[in-house]
Amino acid sequence: MPFELAEPRSLREAIASLDAKDPSVRPISGGTALMLMMKAGVLRPSRLVSLGKLGLAGIRTGPGGELRVGAMTSLRTIEKSEIVRKGWPVIARTLRTLANVRVRNVATVGGHLAHADPHMDLPPVLSALGARVTIAGAAGERSIPVEELGTGYLETSIRLDELITLLEVPPLGGRSAAYLKCTTRSADDWPAVGVAVSLDFQGDSIREASVVIGAATDKPTRLAAVERILVGRKLDENLLDEAATQELSVEGDLHGSAAYKKQLIRVYLRRAIHEARAQSR
Amino acid sequence: MKRALSPAETPQVGRSLPRLESWLKVTGRAEYVHNLRLPGMLYGRIFRSSVAHGRIRRLDVSAAQAVGGVHRVVSAADLKGIVPDPYYGPAFHDQPVLAVDKVRYVGEPVAVVLAADPHVAEEAAHLIVAEYEELPAVYDELEAMTSKAIVHDALKPAGTFPDLKHLKGRTGTNVALDFHLRRGDAAQALAAADRVFEHRFRTQQVMHTPLEPLVSVAESTDSSLTIHTASQSPSFVRIEVARLLGWPENRIRVRVPFLGGGFGAKLYIKLEALVAVLSLLTRRAVKISLTMEEQFFTITKHASSFRIKSGVTRDGRICARECEVWWNGGAYADIGPRVTQKSGFTAAGPYDIEHVAIDSYALYTNLPPAGALRGFGIPQLVWAYECHTDMMARELGIDPIEFRRRNLLRDGRPQATGTLMRDAAIEKVLDRLAVLLEWNRPFDRGTGVVRRGRGIAIGFKACVSPTTSLAAVNVNGDGSCIVYCSTVDMGQGSDTAMAQIAGEVLHLPAETVRVVHSDTDVTPYDMATLGSRSLFHMGNAVKLAAEDALKKLNQLKSELQMPPDAAIPEIFKKKYGMQAGNVVGTGSFIPSYAPPDYATGLTSDATPFWMVGGSGVEIEVDTETGRVRVARLVNVADVGTPINPKIVETQLSGAAIMQLGFTLFEKMLFDEHGQLRNASLAEYKIPGFLDMPEEIINEAVSAEQRSGPFGAKGVGETGTFGVSPAIANAIHDAVGVRLTVLPLNPESIFMELQKAK
Amino acid sequence: MRRSIQFRLNGEAVSAQVAPHETLVEVLQDAFGLFGARESCGQGLCGCCTVVVNGRAVSGCLYLASFAEGGEVSTIEAGSRLDAVQEAFIECGSLQCGFCTPGFILMTRQLLEEHPEPDDDTIRHYLSGNLCRCAAYPQIIEAVKLAARKMRQT
Repeated sequence: MPFELAEPRSLREAIASLDAKDPSVRPISGGTALMLMMKAGVLRPSRLVSLGKLGLAGIRTGPGGELRVGAMTSLRTIEKSEIVRKGWPVIARTLRTLANVRVRNVATVGGHLAHADPHMDLPPVLSALGARVTIAGAAGERSIPVEELGTGYLETSIRLDELITLLEVPPLGGRSAAYLKCTTRSADDWPAVGVAVSLDFQGDSIREASVVIGAATDKPTRLAAVERILVGRKLDENLLDEAATQELSVEGDLHGSAAYKKQLIRVYLRRAIHEARAQSR
Repeated sequence: MKRALSPAETPQVGRSLPRLESWLKVTGRAEYVHNLRLPGMLYGRIFRSSVAHGRIRRLDVSAAQAVGGVHRVVSAADLKGIVPDPYYGPAFHDQPVLAVDKVRYVGEPVAVVLAADPHVAEEAAHLIVAEYEELPAVYDELEAMTSKAIVHDALKPAGTFPDLKHLKGRTGTNVALDFHLRRGDAAQALAAADRVFEHRFRTQQVMHTPLEPLVSVAESTDSSLTIHTASQSPSFVRIEVARLLGWPENRIRVRVPFLGGGFGAKLYIKLEALVAVLSLLTRRAVKISLTMEEQFFTITKHASSFRIKSGVTRDGRICARECEVWWNGGAYADIGPRVTQKSGFTAAGPYDIEHVAIDSYALYTNLPPAGALRGFGIPQLVWAYECHTDMMARELGIDPIEFRRRNLLRDGRPQATGTLMRDAAIEKVLDRLAVLLEWNRPFDRGTGVVRRGRGIAIGFKACVSPTTSLAAVNVNGDGSCIVYCSTVDMGQGSDTAMAQIAGEVLHLPAETVRVVHSDTDVTPYDMATLGSRSLFHMGNAVKLAAEDALKKLNQLKSELQMPPDAAIPEIFKKKYGMQAGNVVGTGSFIPSYAPPDYATGLTSDATPFWMVGGSGVEIEVDTETGRVRVARLVNVADVGTPINPKIVETQLSGAAIMQLGFTLFEKMLFDEHGQLRNASLAEYKIPGFLDMPEEIINEAVSAEQRSGPFGAKGVGETGTFGVSPAIANAIHDAVGVRLTVLPLNPESIFMELQKAK
Repeated sequence: MRRSIQFRLNGEAVSAQVAPHETLVEVLQDAFGLFGARESCGQGLCGCCTVVVNGRAVSGCLYLASFAEGGEVSTIEAGSRLDAVQEAFIECGSLQCGFCTPGFILMTRQLLEEHPEPDDDTIRHYLSGNLCRCAAYPQIIEAVKLAARKMRQT
């Protein structure tokens, strides 16, 4: 229970406060997820390094029209940002039903992505949009796709002495994107399945497709077979149904059995595609 | 807030007065035990069993004891000097203050760490090590009937309550109580019936989840004990703690401020005996606040199984019914035997059936204990008999409302026990449901993926009997009035209702009447705040007390030769020469009662009043996912004449929405070792804003309970009765599949849809 | 391990000795005797522990007290007169046991700041992170709308 709280004033100081070998030293941003882990006793930190005073918050567009969001930007700020609403409406819409207002007020996008709970909504959406994060460490910065962040349940490719500093989302361009999730208990439950699609329609056919699901698997998973079926031809829902779950290892949990979750993936995939198509018109 | 002392010019009963404590609650100032801190107080953290059934072989608390800041670690062995026989319970003395030798469910309290800092206590509790010799366990109520795993080797009936005096249990089995009712000859009538229908239904284990988790504080001296507790039953707590300690009642004081919800979770004894002995042991004030998670290991609602079989004549009259109900009581009986009996005798439903046989069994299993939850077992029964009713109506090709109407139990007719129905507006409730649902107009059934359906259900309940309430009404020298009663306001608005009743009698505006909260040093005995009994029983007691005060005031007036319209302050002034003195009226209420015959369950006077509630729904089913959306929820009830119509409405709607959670998704999930897998609000979901039906209509039919205070009777549970079967009936109406197990979650509906294809 | 932090609490400059692990709701209760924010689910799901920090509602049971340093903290106890939201909750009978009520009122104030004329869908979504086990939800929707009307009139 007792731990030290470090509040560094610079990124360099923050990284120096982390420990490459000691998993009990953890960065904390909004803390909404870490506090839950601490209360449940699954995390017993010796030191928490607060990122609140690093000045890593802010939203702007970059030279290539990309969205640049500082890692310490709250989810609520992103949700309400005019830049995001106009340029990446799927992100604002997704945030509206992510946890609740209080959590979104406090939780940051960097913390959200670093937590890597497979039930979270943004990772599949950002993966489908081709977003990248910048990760800073003692040796400098590296940039990786959001899709490569999660490596398993609550596991990421971020090293213990590294921090996410920036999220970059490429411009939507001609793509239309949708995210649908399905809860199986109360409406505010963690989703049983989340489906994110980003589709570039050309008339009735699709020029480019990106489809990523969350919640049903231990990390967000790209449905490559579905993407192949979608690209360059007319939609065939029977083909789609089969492709939707063929490559997936879905595990049953408290939200539903594996078989039921596969059904939800098939249904919500179709619905997400329809929603994206409706937006493209 | 202006509180005029001028006499009320309008009737107080029937006013939709905002709750008296509204200001306290909207400013965060309402008093809850949660808020209480006492000088030198220790916090207790409970160490709980990790096995479902086992003998405690070793308990090592040394590491916990060694943690800096830990005052003491206490287990059952430490209690012997204070409580020689540390078992409590309202029906059986079966539950130990802390586990003695054996544990009987995962989560049972085994030891407590005491520390001034609650974080230290929590940290240290993790360091306690227990070793168990595991014993065979039983979890299912049907298996418990014949299982070789026996939860209790010996049964010790409590004998506290008159309606449970006959309890003895069946030694060598898991049966805590079996209740039997025989009216006519059901077997023969079934054999002679034109059609016979038999169905089985189940309900799941759920939890009350009051948002203020259970919390109790005790402080003691050498000869006295004060318990501040979030309890619905302060009088019982005092009696039971006094019994455990071998003390007279007057050395124990039990105080209860507001409760942050109760719903039956905070009844009888929960943490009170534990904090009492810990305080006596340490001579410090001790507080135990459960976390939301720990509540799941403390009290729950019975899972149940129900076999129901009916014989029907050619013209759609139910002539015979057999009911077998099995209640999963968990490891300790709590009030399960009363649920088994009191609800058991209404298991045949609000129908006029000549031949009825009911067998109802309270069973011990190795799960967290089950007690009463907003309905005392009635929602489990209505779930079964109202699904059964619809299934028969559809088979017979009779409209479900018409089928019910043909069979309704009408006033003046004997209920299954033989008690005559009085002031039970069953038919009116059914009629109003049909009207509000526009049952006879064409209904849009939807097309494509989303199909629509509608359904109704009605249920009834007999209020628990015989129970006692006492009250005192004090009129001060200035004419202001204080009501003393031990009814606990846990959100149902009892303070306001009692003030309205006293105000009505004394011609005072209800908002000027003060209601003193339960304090057994001050407020008289009350059986408990449960089972929708308070408005009727305590309401009658308060009315009698106010009338007694009025009578005494009038006597004074005539003694002092004052005119009949003399103001109250003038009476006191004349009597005492100044603003001084007071008049105390007292009231005591216990209804008449005749215990059921042990063999037949028959009685001429089963209950002081009947509660009647029904619900109708319009729903949409997503046939690709099985998800159900409730578009419209209509709740209709007979609550007698409402004392406060607005509060009645919120009670009906709140109860129905709570039942919506129990219907659609709430469920405690156990693994094969009796480990609960979802003990948190992250994994045990309760209804939130987005689960609300788009439209909710609540109606109290025009009715009168002639024996109630100003025609009123209880309402807290009524809204729960019909919700679950109404939704199952609507699902069947929409997509043609019949679910018989709660909850009606999307996956089970989808799987049934697949089977039906 | 304890250290002193300074912040403004309901408009007054205050300081408190806090340990790193202590949450804002613990400090409000133990150091300042304010019990309107209270822990219930302990997971940020029920909203009983709602506190407003720097103008934004947070779950006080998941918020380290240290993070309030230098900030402006506001609780249900702020102010000496009832506001339109509190009045509306009373008039609409939107409270039963009252345990969740302060959280709902603080969230409703924020909702009405952002959406002065909210429709049902906006209300339901904004308040979906607050639970009421007594289920006064229909009456809370009424109160939000009444409060909005009251605020427009003044």
